[in-house]
Parts: sequence; structure tokens; C-alpha cells
Amino acid sequence: MAAVKETIDQVKEIDVDKYKYGFKTDIEMDMAPKGLNEDIVRFISAKKDEPEWMLEWRLEAFRRWQQMEEPSWARVNYPKIDFQDLYYYAAPKSTPGPKSLDEVDPELLETYKKLGIPLSEQAVLAGVEGARVAVDAVFDSVSVVTTFKDELAKAGVIFCSISEAVKEHPELVKKYLGSVVPTSDNFYATLNAAVFSDGSFVYIPKGVRCPMELSTYFRINEEKTGQFERTLIIADEGSYVSYLEGCTAPMRDENQLHAAVVELVTLDDAEIKYSTVQNWYPGDKDGKGGIYNFVTKRGDCRGKNSKISWTQVETGSAITWKYPSCILRGDNSQGEFYSIAISNGHQQVDSGTKMIHLGKNTSSRIISKGISAGVSQNTYRGQVSAHAKATGARNFTQCDSLLIGDRCGAHTVPYIESRNASAVFEHEATTSKISDDQMFYCQQRGLNEEEAVALIVNGFVREVLQHLPMEFMAESQKLIGISLEGSVG
Amino acid sequence: MEQHIVKLTDAENQLADLLQAAGAADAKAALTEHGLPHRRIEEYHYTDLRTLLRDVPAELAKANDDLPSEQFNGFSRVVIVNGKLVHADAIDGVEIKSVDVAKKVGDDQIINLMDGFAQSQIEISISKSLNKPIHIAQVHAGADSVAASKLKVTSADGVEATIIETFEGQNDRGLRFADCAMDVAANSNLLHLQLDQNATGARQFVQNCYDLHEKANLRTFVTHANFQLGRTDVKAEFKGEGAHADFAGLTLLMDKQHGDFTLNVNHAVPNTTSTESFKSIVRDRAKAIFQGKIIVAPDAQKTDAQMMSQGLLLSERAEVLVKPELEIFADDVLCAHGATCGELDADALFYLMSRGIPRAEAESMLIKAFLAELFDEIEDEQIHAKLENRVDAWLAATE
Repeated sequence: MAAVKETIDQVKEIDVDKYKYGFKTDIEMDMAPKGLNEDIVRFISAKKDEPEWMLEWRLEAFRRWQQMEEPSWARVNYPKIDFQDLYYYAAPKSTPGPKSLDEVDPELLETYKKLGIPLSEQAVLAGVEGARVAVDAVFDSVSVVTTFKDELAKAGVIFCSISEAVKEHPELVKKYLGSVVPTSDNFYATLNAAVFSDGSFVYIPKGVRCPMELSTYFRINEEKTGQFERTLIIADEGSYVSYLEGCTAPMRDENQLHAAVVELVTLDDAEIKYSTVQNWYPGDKDGKGGIYNFVTKRGDCRGKNSKISWTQVETGSAITWKYPSCILRGDNSQGEFYSIAISNGHQQVDSGTKMIHLGKNTSSRIISKGISAGVSQNTYRGQVSAHAKATGARNFTQCDSLLIGDRCGAHTVPYIESRNASAVFEHEATTSKISDDQMFYCQQRGLNEEEAVALIVNGFVREVLQHLPMEFMAESQKLIGISLEGSVG
Repeated sequence: MEQHIVKLTDAENQLADLLQAAGAADAKAALTEHGLPHRRIEEYHYTDLRTLLRDVPAELAKANDDLPSEQFNGFSRVVIVNGKLVHADAIDGVEIKSVDVAKKVGDDQIINLMDGFAQSQIEISISKSLNKPIHIAQVHAGADSVAASKLKVTSADGVEATIIETFEGQNDRGLRFADCAMDVAANSNLLHLQLDQNATGARQFVQNCYDLHEKANLRTFVTHANFQLGRTDVKAEFKGEGAHADFAGLTLLMDKQHGDFTLNVNHAVPNTTSTESFKSIVRDRAKAIFQGKIIVAPDAQKTDAQMMSQGLLLSERAEVLVKPELEIFADDVLCAHGATCGELDADALFYLMSRGIPRAEAESMLIKAFLAELFDEIEDEQIHAKLENRVDAWLAATE
């Protein structure tokens, strides 16, 4: 019952201003000229002071991107994006490379404070006693600060911005960058490879259990700016890390583009748990503005007995196009995907996962809960495949959709491909609405309509929420409440 | 944007020439522009005809009066050879005639070929309930050739009827198309079965379109077993409230056979229900494909659609590829789909063998148990027996 009370309070709290992260920060920015060409790619690379091989890598990607066509298979509609009408680089002007928090622009610190992200190492996340989280804060195109670096370094963990990693740990970056999502993987991933500006880099050495949760907080601030971050996480043999990702953006009338690439690599016996709470600005009630979230996320269970687990709560963005996937290459490796995707207003979500079983005795589990309200469209698109050599592959998929209101849509497009007799795949999908009986039962016990919906929805998504780290669980429950506000009737 | 194919394959050129010979210039133009459907075209994702259909017979099927071998005792009989009506029993309340085909061209090249090659449309109108089923023998006779048939069945209000089609042919590398459109009138009750009995090398493309009117009831059952390459496209649209339909399919494939069921069920009006139940058993290097899409239109409230597809893989290199889709635009609906695939349950097998049943026999017991519920719905004893014989024959052939 506690969670429900919270949700309701939250709904009340945001009565006036629905999207509370919609403020913008006025800060002097360093921008690249508008548009995209080889010079812009060189400009970004030069800004980052990158070595020659990195520039070549980008240019190669850019040349390929020019040959590619924008994909059109997803169930989303949006006007054609003019890729020349965007800024590909925007960074807060500041002293080069702040050494400590004191040197960071106070305006920026204020922004993160408003967002509830503790950049000061003493601070802990509100309400969670004793939990410490290392944060990499990415503001438009650059990482502004990474906390707890020293303490992590003691454990041998490398946690820094990717631009720093290119300089400090070129051997690791060269070895792994683009090894899970190749440069020419898809239209947006290729664009990202050409112009990615920042993102996080994590390396957990052999046998280390990362002493704290790591997290990245993405903020798009500047107008007409595309954010292209790139995250690379490598868990070496026998290591473990839990990584959290959060995102917000100001409310603006025009659409903004976010095309990220996340690559995860687990070697033998390693595990990565990657959790996302995606709360980009979804646009206003008439569907104006909002973020286009075109993201490529993929994990490669390269070693035997390795495990990658994706958990996502998707409530924001005007358009979401995102399929966190697992390549189960190592024998006995495991992939998991837990997702809650909520769409309201004019939002369009096309999300799901891929579980590619290549190794022997690999197993995967997919739990996807889609909730559509308003006039939104919510699609689950997933693929489960067992390669001819994936003896003993096992998958269980459950994707449930809940419709609130009669003008929204919920769709399911699973691809199930079994090329090995011993692979056992099970898939179930259901679609339903909140039944009158359930509503009656709750209301008869004194809950009002909105409270009843919140209770039922929280029950519907419980299975996924349980897989979120503590810090995110509370936030997610609130988000679900906010996202569905005003959707009844 | 549609990707243009740079160079047509020999098979595509051959088909284009044959379309010209069949007087279907528009279909030819469409084929030369787009080529055969390939994996980038979503509906043909798993059935890439640019690679699967590499050789095409050199000529169109000629008129032929060969009578088929398949007989059902006591059924009314209609015989269509190479798309032409050659025999029809006189049936009380049924009118059968052959009319010219109005050729149309659309986006799907296979449907264009179907229309392009069909020389006549056979229309069967049923005005009163039938006391015995109609057996339509669809024969592909003569040397290796391309044949197409087009059938249109209409029923009057409240009629009950069973129609069983058999696809027969001795012609080993033949390519055949069969199109069937059924208008299921209000309150009528139709059962439509299609059994394939082609030669092992045959290639077959079938399209079944159903329009369901108020309180209509339809049951369909299709087998995929005897061909090299086969695809059945089912397109159903609910046009009247209170209608119900059951779609079922059985796939038994071995060697390098490739069978594709593609189903599109559109619940366009409120208060309609459907079930879709498809089972596949594959061995050797065969591929069974099931793509099922249920669409619930806006305002089609109280729809109840339940789709199930199950695959059983008996050999290491067999494949089951499944895509069960839901597309839902109304909220007060119950829709579900389930899909499973795997091999025979080792525990169940062990249980039977530990009781002295030889492995082969234990396997066939389990396979029959897997299929049993599909056959339960078929009441006619003769058809029921034929289906069971078919499964037995398939199992015997693979032992």
C-alpha cells in the first residue's frame, strides 16, 4: 500500500507542472557549427584532443553513414529529420578539465541538484540510507564530472568519460569499442560512431566486485542539439557491476534527437546489471516537442557462465526506438530483459529485445510490460533465436500489454527462430484492459478512480520493478504514477 | 522506399515471359520492376523467394481432363484440372459456373502471379444447407508446368456447408497457384479444409480470403506436408458483429521442405472472436514457418482472439520460425498469443520406454498426442480417418 500512497502524492505534486525536469539551464556553451560533414567530425575529434586512430574510426563511420538510409520498419511516425539542422556538439564553457567539484560551473551543479543527482561525494540519494553511487554526469555533449573516481581506482575499477578513456586507456578502447555494435550496425549507430561526443567508460578488472553502483546521468539542455553518447562497459573474468542510467531534458517545442550506443562485454563468469530509467521530455499534450530516442544497446556475453541483465523503465521521449539485446556467445551464459514501457499522450514506443543464443546451454528470460494510455502507440518488438549449435538453449518470454482508454494502441511483434532441436522456447503474450471488476473492487474499498488505476498498474508491473536497484525502484514507482496521470476516463 | 532489384534472376525472367504468354502484361510489368518477394519484404521475411524459387517450369499448363485419384465416399464432387472446371456433380441448392477473371495488380507479386496465370474463376454459390460435403479436387496435371486456379464461394444466409479441397498433382517440379475467396454470409456455418497431395518436388502458393458477416461461423483446416515449397496466405476480415472463426493448420515436413503459413486476421468490428491454432513437426533440414497477425481495429471492442503456435523439432537441423503478432487499437479486448518450440519431452519418452515400449513407438505416441487436439474439431469420420492416415504415413516414412 505504501507505494500506492507515494504514487498518489506524486501525482498531486505534479498537478501543475507535469514534467518536473522541464527547466532549462542558462549557461554559456561552446558549440560546433550547425550541420554535419567531415569537418564537423574532425572538429569534434579535435575538441576531444583525440589520437589519429580515433579520428579515422569516426571518419570511416561517417562515410558509411552517408551511404545508409534511415530505417522505416519500426511502428513510429515522425517528420523526416533534417540532419543538417542540428548541432552535433555543445559543451558548457568552463575551465578545461575541472579537477574537482569546486571548479565545476555552479550553474551546472545547481542543475544536477534540481534533478536530484548527488554530484558531491558526501551526498547520498535521498531516502536511501547508506547507499553510495558513483555518478558520471553528461551535460549535452560532454561529461562534466565523474564522482568517486579515487575510491573506485583503489579497487582497480576504471570509471571515467569515454573521451578520457580514449586518451588514458587506448588499448582497452581499441580492443572493445565497436566490437559489440559495429560501426555500420544500423543508421543511428553509425551516426553515433561518427559524432559521439561523450559517455561513460567502465572497466572492472578480473575478480572484482565493483564496490558501489555506477551511474550516468544524461541531460540534454541546449536547443536543436543532438546528444550522441557512447557507453562501453567491460566486465573482465569473474567481475560484477551494477550500472544505472537516467535521463532528462528541458521542455522545448521542437523535437530533439538522442542517438546513443551502449556496448557491454562480459568475459568468463562476469556479470553486468544495467538499469535505465528513461525520462526524456515526452512532448506536451498535443504531441509537440519531445525527444526522439533512437538507441542501440547491446550486450555480448563473450565468456562462459557470464550474464547480462537489462532492466528498463521507459516513460519519457516522444519516440522510443530501443532494443537492448544480448548475444549469448559463451557457453552457459544468461541474458535477461525486464522492461516497463509506458506511453501516454502522443508518445510512440517501439521497444523490445533480442536474445541471440549462440553458445551451448544458454538461457534467457524476457519480461515486458507495456502500458498505453492517451492516443499513444506502444509496440513490443523482440527476437529470440537459437543458432544451430546452441544446444540446450532455453528462453521464456512474457509480454503483456495493458490499454487504458480506447484511443491508444498496443502491438506485439515477436520473432521466434529455433534452429536447434534441443532449444526450448516459450512465448506468451496477452493484451487486456483494467477490468471493471478490478476497478469496482478497489473503489468499493474507498480508493478513488485514479488511486485504483495506480494500484492495479503497480501490481501489473511489479515483476519488473523488483529487478531494479533500490535507488531506482522508488523513483520508478513515482514515474509510473506521473506518466499515467490524467489517463483515466 | 522500395529497393529496386538490379538484375532479375533467370526464374524471374522465366515467370515474366510466362505472364506475357498468359496475357497478364500488368503483372509482368510489376514483376520485372520489383522481382519476387525477398526477405526484406516483411511478409516474406522467412520465405525469400529470390533464393527459394530458382527454377521455374518452362510452360503454362494445358487443358487436361485427367481425373484425380482421391475419392471421398458419398461426398459431392467437383473437379478442377489446371485451373479449369472439368466436372461438377449436380448438387441441390448449389450453383457452379466458370467466369472470366478480371486481372488486377497489387503490391504482392505472388498474388499478382496467382491472378495473372488464372484463366477463369470458378464460382460456387450455396443457397441452402448441404447434407453432404463438397469435395473439390484441384488437380495439376501434365508435364512440369505452371497452373493457377481461382475459386469463389458464396453462401446464403444461415447455410451450413463443408468444403474440402485436395491439391493433387503428379507433376514433380510443378508450380501451382490457388486462390480461394469465401464470403461467409450472416448466420451461416462453413467448414473449409485443404489437404495437399502434391508430388514431392512441387511448389505451391495458396491464398484463402474470408469475409465474415454477422454471426457467421467459420472453421478452416489446412495441411502442409506434400510439396517442396509451400505457402498458404490466410486473410480474414470480420465484417459483421457476433461472428466467430477458428483457423487451424498442420505442418509435417522433412528433408529440405519449406512450409510457410502466413495469417492475417482482422477484427474490424466489435464483438467478434477467433482462435488460431497451428502445429508443426519438422525433421531433417525442413523449415516450418508461422507468421500470424491479429489486428483489432479501433472501436472493435469485446474482441476475443487467442492464437497458439507450437513447433516440434525432431532433428538437429530442422527449423521452426515463428512470428505471432498482435496489433491492437481497442482497449476492451482479450487477446493472447502463445508460441512454443522444442523437442520431444525426454522424461515422457523415458516413462514410456521404461514400460517396455520401443523408442520409435513411444515417439509416435507422443507425436500423436501432440497433434490430437487439432483433429478433435473435425467431426466427419472420413476426413478424420484420412488425416490420421496421413500422420501415420508421415511417421512411417521418417522411421
